[in-house]
Amino acid sequence: MPKSLLVVSRQAPWSGLAAREALDLVLAGGAYDLPLGMLFLDDGVFQLQDNQQAAAVEQKNLSANLQALPLFGVEAIFVCSRSLQERGLPESSLSLPASVLDAPQIRQLFERYDQMITL
Amino acid sequence: MSTLHLLAHSPFNDNRFSSCLPLLDDGDGLLLSGDAVHALQPGSAALQSLQQLPAGVAIYALQEDLLARGLSEYPERVSDIEYSVFVDLCIHYSSVNSWL
Repeated sequence: MPKSLLVVSRQAPWSGLAAREALDLVLAGGAYDLPLGMLFLDDGVFQLQDNQQAAAVEQKNLSANLQALPLFGVEAIFVCSRSLQERGLPESSLSLPASVLDAPQIRQLFERYDQMITL
Repeated sequence: MSTLHLLAHSPFNDNRFSSCLPLLDDGDGLLLSGDAVHALQPGSAALQSLQQLPAGVAIYALQEDLLARGLSEYPERVSDIEYSVFVDLCIHYSSVNSWL
């Protein structure tokens, strides 16, 4: 049984390479059938903002790739409720179906996975 | 045993610290290394929030980073550790979360 991996993504979409790299990590792992989860924390929740126009800053569309997560077998997608609230993002505005978790639930999530990486 | 969280960035310049703390509870560990040891600066808001962590959260700080930054006064609940203990702790906790 391969070890399960939780990727915690906490950078905004266009602030650097971190958001893209976290997603690449998950998609690569998904291609190898690793048991994977992805948690959006802090500014990472901005990646789930709807109607992003990546072309305006000459970037590839991150949202489109995020939509591919279920296709790669990654259905365990989580979002931090506090991060959403702090940034005024309603749960209904997210571009991806995700489970919204509070701090105790995130703590339990950390224990459920064998390994985790926070980018 | 639960999760060991590794922080290496200054709490004054970065929100990894403030984001990590609410996720800690009894049984978890917090290991400060590099600039994260500045969180032990006496009188700082960061130290105050560390002291408010549940008593069952273990706090560790890497000794050489404390020495390098002239930090010699910190609360009793903080254990100063060497790299060998760092390794032991990573094995001891059931999972490790490195806030890169």
